[in-house]
Amino acid sequence: MKFKLKTITSALVTGGILLGSHSAFANDSDELEKLRALVQDLDQKIRVLDRKNELAEEAAAAKKKETPILNASEKGFGFKSADGNFEIKLKGVVQADGRYFESGQNTVTQAASGASTAGYLTSEDANTGSLLRRVRPTIEGTVFDKYDFRFTEEFGEDKVTSNSGIVDAYIDARFDPSFKLRVGKFKPFVGLERLQSAADIKFIERSYVTNALLPNRDLGAAIHGDLFEGKLNYSLGIYNGVADGGDIKTSADVNKDKDYSARLFATPFKNDDTPLAGLGFGLAATYGDVSGQVKDTVNGSTSELTSGYKSEGQQTIFKYIDGTVLRSGLGGTASNVVGTPSVSGVASDPGADWLAKADGRRYRFAPQASYYYGPFGVLAEYARVSEQVGVGRTSANTVTLNHEAWEIGASYLVTGEDASFKGVKPKQNFDFNKGTWGAWELAARYSELNLDDDTFVFGTSSGAIAGNSVTKAQATALNTTKHWLYADPKTSVKSAHTWTTGINWYLNPEVKFSLNYLYTTFDGGGGPETSTGTPRAGTGTLVSNNSASLTSNAKAKDREDEKAIFVRAQIAF
Amino acid sequence: MKRYILGLAALVAGLSTLTNPIVASAADVTILNVSYDPTRELYQDFNAAFAKYWQAKTGDKVTVKASHGGSGKQARAIIDGLDADVATLALAYDVDQLYEKGKLIPKDWQKRLPHNSSPYTSTIVFLVRKGNPKGIKDWNDVVKPGVSVITPNPKTSGGARWNYLAAWAYALKNNNNDEAKAKEFVGKLFKNVPVLDTGARGATTTFVERGIGDVLLAWENEAFLAQKELGPDKFEIVVPSLSILAEPPVTVVDKVANKRGTAAVAKAYLEYLYTEEGQEIAAKNYYRPTLESVAKKYEKQFPKINLITIDDVFGGWAKAQKTHFADGGTFDEIYQK
Repeated sequence: MKFKLKTITSALVTGGILLGSHSAFANDSDELEKLRALVQDLDQKIRVLDRKNELAEEAAAAKKKETPILNASEKGFGFKSADGNFEIKLKGVVQADGRYFESGQNTVTQAASGASTAGYLTSEDANTGSLLRRVRPTIEGTVFDKYDFRFTEEFGEDKVTSNSGIVDAYIDARFDPSFKLRVGKFKPFVGLERLQSAADIKFIERSYVTNALLPNRDLGAAIHGDLFEGKLNYSLGIYNGVADGGDIKTSADVNKDKDYSARLFATPFKNDDTPLAGLGFGLAATYGDVSGQVKDTVNGSTSELTSGYKSEGQQTIFKYIDGTVLRSGLGGTASNVVGTPSVSGVASDPGADWLAKADGRRYRFAPQASYYYGPFGVLAEYARVSEQVGVGRTSANTVTLNHEAWEIGASYLVTGEDASFKGVKPKQNFDFNKGTWGAWELAARYSELNLDDDTFVFGTSSGAIAGNSVTKAQATALNTTKHWLYADPKTSVKSAHTWTTGINWYLNPEVKFSLNYLYTTFDGGGGPETSTGTPRAGTGTLVSNNSASLTSNAKAKDREDEKAIFVRAQIAF
Repeated sequence: MKRYILGLAALVAGLSTLTNPIVASAADVTILNVSYDPTRELYQDFNAAFAKYWQAKTGDKVTVKASHGGSGKQARAIIDGLDADVATLALAYDVDQLYEKGKLIPKDWQKRLPHNSSPYTSTIVFLVRKGNPKGIKDWNDVVKPGVSVITPNPKTSGGARWNYLAAWAYALKNNNNDEAKAKEFVGKLFKNVPVLDTGARGATTTFVERGIGDVLLAWENEAFLAQKELGPDKFEIVVPSLSILAEPPVTVVDKVANKRGTAAVAKAYLEYLYTEEGQEIAAKNYYRPTLESVAKKYEKQFPKINLITIDDVFGGWAKAQKTHFADGGTFDEIYQK
């Protein structure tokens, strides 16, 4: 009995243990399943998150391909399409200049009296003082990858001399690197120094080659391009024609004749590993056949004959006989000196018959070269203009005048940057706190302008014709009175020789300070050696005892040396 | 006078030989096929075959470049300026937009090629994991809670629009054409969608390569391809009780082809899709051929499915697009991001 009870009890207890174990095991399985499901669920959620991130990145990358790129950096401001085919850039140049003349500046009183010892002061000439030399915002850009455009307006002092404030307005179609077409108003492809940006020139003012003889801006069209892997640049252009590089003015073409230009510029060692890699040389030429109107406006000229050449100090040192010169040279007011013919009826009025004009062919010839090696740079250029100039309303006194100018300028970056045609990028920008000083450059140049001796001819012109309001007697008087035919050496120089030294401080690629010392000597243009009275001898007296008069061949003394210090603060982007 | 005329004639003849040389030289032609997302393999094979055929026929070397993406997105890209010589998209509405929005093709483009310009057809099936762990057999299974469904975005993908309409058609059939119930049904489906790709191939990547989801609503050809490429031991194809006849159309983009001078080769390219070789290539890539002889040859490859058409159930693509997929349409109401 006891055994049976024990056995039964054991059996019952064992059965109970087994049942308990099984139940526990079943609970563990459920837990495991739940855990498995949870892990799978979490795994899916993580995968979903990863995939969403992946898709978001793909969408962002795709959008980036279409999103315009905004740029605000040392390269300027602007934006362009993601594919680069469309771009617009806002650029600009602001130049604030200060000028101090130690000697040789024009004064208002001298101009008013006419007995100028330093030539004529025009409204464009500036004295000691400050000015905004250039304020030029530029919008340039590209459409459809190959068509560039540029529009520049002048709000600075240059505007004073310009009929319109537009400096550049052109389209450049880059069909191929070797064939591009430019149409509009732009720098004709002629002078090397002119082609250098106003922001990148080494001196505050360009030389006589550029500012006197070679064209500044013109209206026309040109094909241009780079050949032989960019080692030869060529251009051929057709333009309305402008007289000189004095200002950016381009007025309406007064005749159907056009100017043609051609230029070749070679850099044969470009990209080669040789000290000659920075050597460039070339030749430019222009040809035009102009028959301009008589210079009968009160203040200036037609575009066919220069309105005057300036010294490096920006003072007018040469003028052909135009209305201003005629008025100052004879005395009297505009109405009784200038007219076509005289409107006042004053017997001695030369009117349009004594004004100089472009009358025939004009050639320009300009060999040019540049060299850059490390921090050292040189730019040299020569220009010769051969132009036919006449007097009055006929071609009876037309002569061919050959003027020439040349310059050689050198620069050296003492801080070791590489010199180039285009600007300077300092190794380290100026930062007073960091003790970095930007880039410093020394520069020196010699520049010379020589007018043809035949420019200064004292004689009679046979251009006056009787008729309308000019009587036969008046015409005879005009034709028999000796006077300076093309230019008066007492007020216009025969030559100018300028030494310029300078220091440029490039604070960063966009900000530059410059200091120049200019020293110019002249031949002629300083008034008569002896002075008697003033040209204002009454109202339009044709013959005068006044040695300063246009009808006096009194010997000219040299214009006072021009010594000046120019400073400039420039921002260009 | 006679000498002048003879001289002029000689000059003209001389000039014409410059432009039309006596001995024709072989030309290199490139065309761009802008296609919908899952057709990469199809057009890779087809382009090679067409190039060989064209060179043998004309001597010219043709290179066919291809662009793939969601059908709606591709259509928009062409309208925005992508220079497609031909468009091979997922649905006729997207091709219609090339006319409506861009005037790039004529209005009657669909009549220019056989079978409404659809050289092949397809349909929508389910691709599930091996063993079908969630027991998905029909549309009503994909709307159950806990089932994760992968389908692309109907706003960008043509395949996604076919998916949506197939589900809607099923719901209509099983709810006495009750539109409200169909909307509720499709709403539940999209609640089960964790991520929306822009195109069918992206959705396949999500399901197959990223391992997300329990079922992929897929083009039939995509489903077969996934099985073939990644092994039948990983996935199963489930054929629903009802699906939609998808007719991906093709067209020459006339404005582009005429501008590029490729109209002739572009037309020949699409016509070649209808040849026996073109249809064989389509069938081998799991597109249902329209040429009877080839269809018969491959009929065992394709399951028999009860197919409805968009015209029968939805009144055509224009109406379906306006009702369901336009901004503010039913899909926008159903799917909240």
